[in-house]
Amino acid sequence: MALSPAIPSPHTSNTNSVTAKVKTLNMGGGAAPQNTTSTAGQGQELAEQLNDETKKKYVKDKKIGEGTYAIVYLGHLRADPKSKVAIKKIKVNAEYREGLSLDAIREVKFLQELSHPNIPALYSVFSSKNQNLNLVLEYLPLGDLEQLIRDVDGVRYGSADVKAWMGMLGRAVWFCHENFVLHRDIKPNNLLIAADGEVKLADFGLARSFSDPYRVMTHQVITRWYRPPELLFGARYYSGAVDVWSMGTVFAELIIRTPFLAGNSDVHQLELICQFVGTPNDDNWPGVSKLPDYVPFGKDGSQSYPVRGRDFYLQTFSTVGPVGVDLLMSMLSLDPRKRATAREILNHKWWATDPAPTKKEDLPKKGGGGEARMAEDLKRRAGELEDGRGAKVARILDFSGMK
Amino acid sequence: MSKATARGGVPRRPGDEDDICPVCKSSRYLNPNMRFLVNPECYHKMCESCVDRIFSQGPAPCPVAGCNRTLRKQRFRKQTFEDIQVEREVDIRKRVAKVFNRRQDEFETLDDYNDYLEEVETLTFNLLNGVDVSATESKLTEYATQNASIISRNATLEHQESANLEARQAAEREEARLRREAARKEEEDEKKAREEGRKEVLEQLVHGNKPAADVVKESKRVELLKRRRAQQSRALPALPSGTPSANSNPFTFKGLKSTAAPTPEKPYDPFGGLTDERSYYTLQDYYEHPWLDRARTDTHITAGGYTVTEYCARAMFEAFSGLGVFVGEEVAGRGDLPGGNGAGDAVAAAEAAARAEKGVS
Ligand SMILES: Nc1ncnc2c1ncn2[C@@H]1O[C@H](COP(=O)(O)OP(=O)(O)O)[C@@H](O)[C@H]1O
Ligand SMILES: [Mg+2]
Ligand SMILES: [Zn+2]
Ligand SMILES: [Zn+2]
Repeated sequence: MALSPAIPSPHTSNTNSVTAKVKTLNMGGGAAPQNTTSTAGQGQELAEQLNDETKKKYVKDKKIGEGTYAIVYLGHLRADPKSKVAIKKIKVNAEYREGLSLDAIREVKFLQELSHPNIPALYSVFSSKNQNLNLVLEYLPLGDLEQLIRDVDGVRYGSADVKAWMGMLGRAVWFCHENFVLHRDIKPNNLLIAADGEVKLADFGLARSFSDPYRVMTHQVITRWYRPPELLFGARYYSGAVDVWSMGTVFAELIIRTPFLAGNSDVHQLELICQFVGTPNDDNWPGVSKLPDYVPFGKDGSQSYPVRGRDFYLQTFSTVGPVGVDLLMSMLSLDPRKRATAREILNHKWWATDPAPTKKEDLPKKGGGGEARMAEDLKRRAGELEDGRGAKVARILDFSGMK
Repeated sequence: MSKATARGGVPRRPGDEDDICPVCKSSRYLNPNMRFLVNPECYHKMCESCVDRIFSQGPAPCPVAGCNRTLRKQRFRKQTFEDIQVEREVDIRKRVAKVFNRRQDEFETLDDYNDYLEEVETLTFNLLNGVDVSATESKLTEYATQNASIISRNATLEHQESANLEARQAAEREEARLRREAARKEEEDEKKAREEGRKEVLEQLVHGNKPAADVVKESKRVELLKRRRAQQSRALPALPSGTPSANSNPFTFKGLKSTAAPTPEKPYDPFGGLTDERSYYTLQDYYEHPWLDRARTDTHITAGGYTVTEYCARAMFEAFSGLGVFVGEEVAGRGDLPGGNGAGDAVAAAEAAARAEKGVS
């Protein structure tokens, strides 16, 4: 690949920290076979040999996370015990006859292509026994944005911090779109935090390239609370605007510290959108009634809400100021064609408005008992005793002295 | 206090005190199906048949010597915890917690909430340990009557929350699964469509409005892209054999290089030091092509946000990426680039991209 749509501006240096990291951690392991015409048999042997070499370079330490399709381990380079990497092992699944899930392939493909400070670096890939695929990723030790948002007691943050986080998310999304990639699962818990405070858009398990004209895409993407109305109406032809809606809902959630539109079903999600954003109709969104799963809201006696004006947003999201509110409104346009693009978002004047975004190293981090509290919450959920209350009392105060 | 009997799943020897009913003295040795029950009134343990015999006719005093509490049959139940003391404590805690179910958000500060919890705990402690029992009990009852509506509201909330949480977690898991499934199907469909792509070229030659040379040229470009992509996928270290990555999607590009983070003194740059200017071509607002017309005008397609402009941008990018193989010649022939970029910058960009490529592959 000799060309890229986003090129370094002439006045900045060409050295890139991310690429540099890739180099140091990828010492030799990624060397490609030079002879591209070698027979399949030779190629396979070579591939196996390379795989073994790569596999041997890393050591898995402890398990640090688990998703729907993967277990994530902390690991290190055998040659450098002080190094840290995350190794994402894709669970084998009987339904994938080839022994590999397409999620994994998407993830490898897109992470490999997208080298950017706000997207986790993929250092290496190897397969282990049973054809398990292992992705060696940049280790992101400081949790995710959801943890910060939820820890209302332990983590305080303000609009300068929100601006910094949104800026990092904005860059990541812009970079994806600039490279014709839709992420399709933007939400606070896929925004992982690096040791230096940099937020990175992770989990490319649902990503895809922009589609060709007339080629349908699935509308069953993006976690419901962050899903735009066009997908809820079953649109099969859509654009980067879907990710922008998710960005808007994340922005709103960062401000109010609770999910902005937390529907408990697809219909409920649409109802909440009607109520808090506005009821979609052919006037505010020409053609919406042509979408496959369109259902008219606000007909037959039920209430129809006009698109919320600036006043509502100013009231609800006052902390980011009027300029921030304008930006938020531009992301939450019902009609995807009127929604701001990622580039327009980065060109918005909010970034230059006071207060300046917090420097990443000064951003609030999880902690202040945050982790302990989460462990407690988990314990409570497990609930060996059905009376959560009594159990909680016993934990908040220590009664070990009691006979 | 009865002897603690915390011994989990260890099988018991016959003749063990746990296997003899303190009331009728029958033993599990003779009656292996024997079950013990307790009544939360006094927690004296007895076997099921004693309970049937003594309490079937209505409330009766506990048969354990010196107890005399009146017990009702329907309140007998199986012991949940092996240790009767634990059983009793859990019951008392449940009873107290049912009444004192204030929520943290009802308090001004965490300290206030903790003070409240401490008070409740003192009350519980008294009940557990027989301190001021009657005074404590009446305090509890008084509180319960005075706060009946708040108590029931909080109970409902708590119930909803735990129900919601469980339902939500289950639903979320299921939805995540469906999403992955849908994405997988999408990809398979596209793969199939791509395999039919070659057929399309022929069909375009037969029916299409493009001159044959164009079609062939285009398909050559696609070939070129495919070759480069195949190289890239080989550069990916050690994908297990049988991976459908190389052939499935033709849009794999890498090597977008960013620059070092701007120094802190510089004003905030929302783009983080990157520009989106294309040095090799200027994107036009409109590309005429009859094939695209319906995608531009059909509301079924446009209402969801799909734009041909994005497609054109990608198509242009890909066209030039393919030509990038001959990047040296490309650059040399280009002195007057749109957007004010000089040839020198283009060379720098090409070099940077080439370096980036080496760096990752
Ligand atoms: N690079 C990383 N560094 C640290 N932790 C990670 C990293 N990637 C994932 N994790 C942890 O593992 C969890 C699951 O990872 P994720 O990629 O979201 O899997 P899934 O695709 O199954 O949702 C995350 O929530 C996070 O806690
Ligand atoms: Mg995830
Ligand atoms: Zn008995
Ligand atoms: Zn008794």
